[in-house]
Amino acid sequence: MAERITDIGPPKFDKFLPPVIKDNYGKWKYHEILEPGVLVHVAESGAKIYSVRGGSGRLVTTDFIKDVCDIADKFCDGYLRFTSRNNVEFLLTDQSKIAGVKDACKKMGIPLGATGHSVSNIVHTQGWVHCHTPAIDASGIVKSVMDDLFEYFGSHKLPAQVRIALACCLNMCGAVHCSDIAILGIHRTPPKVAHEKLRHLCEIPTTIASCPTGAIRPHPDKSIKSVVINDERCMYCGNCYTMCPALPVFDAQKGGVALLVGGKVSNSKTPPMFSKLAVPYLPNNPPRWPEVVGAIRKILIKYAEGANKWERVGEWVERIGWEKFFEVCDIPFTFQHIDDYRWAYDTYRTSMHFKF
Amino acid sequence: MALSKAELVEFIYDLVKNAQGKKQLKAMDLQKAVLKANPDQDKNMVKFAIKELIDSGRCVYTYFGGSFVEIPHEEGAAKKV
Amino acid sequence: MHKTPLLDQLESGPWPSFIKDLKRVAGRKKSAADLLGVLERSYKDKITHWKHGGIVGVLGYGSGIIGRYIDLPEEFPGVEHFHTVRVNQPAGWFYTTQALRELCEIWDEHGSSILNVHGSTGDMIFLGTTTDQLEPCFAKLTAKGWDLGGSGSAMRTPSCCVGKARCEWSCYDTMDLCYQTTQHFQFDMHRPSFPYKFKVKCSGCPNDCVASVARADMSVIGVWKDDIRIDQAAVAAYQGGEIKPRGGGSPYAKLDVKADVTDLCPTACMSFDGKKLSIDNKNCNHCMHCISLMPQALRPGTETGATLLLGSHAPILEGAQMSWVIVPFMEMEAPYDEFMELVGNIHEWWSENGKNRERVGELMLRLGMRAFLKGVGLEPVPQSVKTPRANPFFFWHAEDFEAEAAGRKYIK
Ligand code: HEM
Ligand code: HEM
Ligand code: HEM
Ligand code: HEM
Ligand code: SF4
Ligand code: SF4
Ligand code: SF4
Ligand code: SF4
Repeated sequence: MAERITDIGPPKFDKFLPPVIKDNYGKWKYHEILEPGVLVHVAESGAKIYSVRGGSGRLVTTDFIKDVCDIADKFCDGYLRFTSRNNVEFLLTDQSKIAGVKDACKKMGIPLGATGHSVSNIVHTQGWVHCHTPAIDASGIVKSVMDDLFEYFGSHKLPAQVRIALACCLNMCGAVHCSDIAILGIHRTPPKVAHEKLRHLCEIPTTIASCPTGAIRPHPDKSIKSVVINDERCMYCGNCYTMCPALPVFDAQKGGVALLVGGKVSNSKTPPMFSKLAVPYLPNNPPRWPEVVGAIRKILIKYAEGANKWERVGEWVERIGWEKFFEVCDIPFTFQHIDDYRWAYDTYRTSMHFKF
Repeated sequence: MALSKAELVEFIYDLVKNAQGKKQLKAMDLQKAVLKANPDQDKNMVKFAIKELIDSGRCVYTYFGGSFVEIPHEEGAAKKV
Repeated sequence: MHKTPLLDQLESGPWPSFIKDLKRVAGRKKSAADLLGVLERSYKDKITHWKHGGIVGVLGYGSGIIGRYIDLPEEFPGVEHFHTVRVNQPAGWFYTTQALRELCEIWDEHGSSILNVHGSTGDMIFLGTTTDQLEPCFAKLTAKGWDLGGSGSAMRTPSCCVGKARCEWSCYDTMDLCYQTTQHFQFDMHRPSFPYKFKVKCSGCPNDCVASVARADMSVIGVWKDDIRIDQAAVAAYQGGEIKPRGGGSPYAKLDVKADVTDLCPTACMSFDGKKLSIDNKNCNHCMHCISLMPQALRPGTETGATLLLGSHAPILEGAQMSWVIVPFMEMEAPYDEFMELVGNIHEWWSENGKNRERVGELMLRLGMRAFLKGVGLEPVPQSVKTPRANPFFFWHAEDFEAEAAGRKYIK
């Protein structure tokens, strides 16, 4: 055990900072976006750092990372970083090298953008690539939506920035609940109990304990040595499947996609907001999910047409009213839209302030 | 009477062993059980006793929606059924 | 190599294709080839084929490894085990190519060569390896100065925005706080002993670029207390159209300072007479709108620190919450003693009272803000509520009468 190293934490960040950042740390004065994907930050001292921001698939390979490193070695003295939305940023001080980075990115297929009033990269989770509770894939939908909205990634055409996020189940690893447009994988049926498997694979007491809503009971027939699920209590969270692989929560036909809109995290003008349910269900349709792609495009276009300058999606919807949002976007209003979970009352209208 | 370090380690190991398959215990459950039986036990010692059980491989941390301390065993998902 | 007609349709189009990328390593990695195979199967079946693995890990740690097994091991033996390794990222996600190449070398040797840069927790995610490779991979990582991040019911890997490294708006050193917090709580990161996860995210200003208000139990958001710094000449340049609004990042070529900035100020604390911009700073709620639009004219003040907000989490179980203000202003200077102590107190109060899988925010709602504030040693402040209560159901404790008798406002 003596030679085993533990609890050292990550390397300290200053090892990785380019000299211009070390010299001007905390002394930046202002920035400009020279063109979509290219930023310059200017320090009090007059020093400048250029950042060239490009999109990545987030799910990448070491080959991709090595290619990106080649670009950074050639033009950026080996310095680069990644953003909170999985974009890559090449950091350089010599303005004349920007063209080289742009060319190299183009060759590699890295699109530049994600600055200003753009649709930045879609923050997303694992999906069928790695997780055990998803209703949908993550990377495939992201790819399909970004292909479709590509023109907005590398431009500043929108009234404000639009942040899209995807989570493949209601656990929402990606914290999609405060995004302008959130894509959410939903299960719509409780787990199916594989009694025969359950007997061999799972401990009944711990399986019962795993359910946050208390929906699981021992099977009334003791000889079966299994469990039953109270469908009315189940919220399709999949936690029982985490505990016991004989309780798969997914359903190929019924699973699908919901869209929530109007969230934000910045405090600009209005406080941070949750995303709210816009489309309760769209079919799970790989490999390109045309219904999801189409619905998102429609919402985005209506927003771009209808919003005032600087208005985020949520601010636009609040101004026109949700009833108008459903009308403009041609989305039918259903029972599912009306909250009946724990804090439902907060969402009911108690005023005469509505429109016809 | 507070337990000595070695006694404490065994006490905790028995708690885990006896609960195995019936109830999954968190580190805090273990601490509470120790303090109930021995109110004057130092909390920090409990922390390090658990660390000793884990470092020696006699117990492992597991994760099933929450993290627990358990005896190492083959889990259902690892079996080919 | 498996046939993947469905996935192949994701190779076309302008956005980078993860399928194309995965195929590059599928030639040399059986696990990558089988991953494509099983993903194709999921695209066909419309279900996942993964099972949760809850026991795998590296010796001594209860964090950093997410176990996965496939439900079709015979067909896809290359991914029979496919565990992920969460590698704690450097604060701000800055790298040198040398560091990245070293990480790639380790992952090429011990895993699938597939990774997430980065996961939503902030960690670099090494995606997929077998149980026997975990220890050697971990040993190589630590030898090069890397460690695993948090997972399970533990302190999770803190993350932060770029902060003072490259953002003029950062009101405290986000990267340093993130790094110091990570170091301070190493024991709790690797040995899960909380009721559930605990996330810390640090944003340098109210723009909150790491979405801390939405997804951190402890959200640290930079703020200033004094006056917004104004360069009147630059304001005039914006009004005159010499400088483009929002750094040039919007479709609008020219700013109308009154219509675009002062009229949209949520507190109506600004005015512009065509030449001079005035701000009633006492009434500004530091929303950042004006500053974001005119970065060359306006900057946050210089008396800076951070607001601490507590409690956000994804929807399980009570419904999604956003963090709420518990400390309106704290100075944020190394070594951050006050911050570390408070976080430690919160851990203790929550561990003592929380149920399994109860986030600290949910516990606070269950037991009440008073129990929380007392538990961690904070005083009530009006900034923590949008409005005071509208019901008459408030209760009095003996300690309130004692405080009253002693002429004090609070218990302390
Ligand atoms: C001109 C104004 C702005 C500048 C210069 C700016 C700067 C930045 C920087 C440097 C990042 C990368 C941060 C990191 O990865 O650590 C970033 C990302 C982000 N910012 Fe801002 N910010 C601006 C305005 C805003 C506003 C007004 C909002 C919200 C309303 C916002 C929300 C975000 C979000 C969500 C991200 C993640 C986006 C990404 O990585 O592509 N930003 N911003
Ligand atoms: C109760 C809520 C949650 C549950 C039950 C949950 C569960 C899980 C599970 C099962 C995985 C494994 C996925 C895989 O790699 O196969 C995972 C991964 C992950 N979770 Fe969560 N999660 C929750 C909330 C969150 C939230 C709110 C965040 C972010 C702020 C988050 C961040 C992550 C990250 C970063 C990963 C790694 C995979 C990725 O990068 O997408 N989780 N989570
Ligand atoms: C401990 C709590 C409360 C007590 C003891 C209390 C007591 C009373 C009493 C004795 C009346 C007169 C009933 C009558 O003879 O007509 C009354 C009426 C009323 N109370 Fe309360 N009340 C309480 C809380 C509240 C709260 C929380 C609200 C509203 C937020 C409220 C709103 C009203 C209204 C609107 C009336 C007039 C009702 C009417 O005229 O029909 N009360 N209350
Ligand atoms: C401990 C708290 C309270 C007590 C003991 C209380 C008691 C009373 C009493 C005795 C009356 C008069 C009954 C009468 O006309 O014979 C009354 C009336 C009323 N109370 Fe309260 N009340 C309380 C709190 C509240 C609160 C918090 C509200 C509103 C937010 C409220 C709203 C009213 C209203 C609207 C009336 C009717 C007045 C009217 O007749 O014009 N009460 N309450
Ligand atoms: S959102 Fe759900 S399905 Fe997706 S990675 Fe997270 S836990 Fe898994
Ligand atoms: S899916 Fe969730 S709510 Fe439904 S039975 Fe399983 S654990 Fe309970
Ligand atoms: S949160 Fe504020 S300080 Fe941090 S990068 Fe974003 S704009 Fe800059
Ligand atoms: S920061 Fe917001 S509230 Fe403050 S002056 Fe600017 S626009 Fe107004």
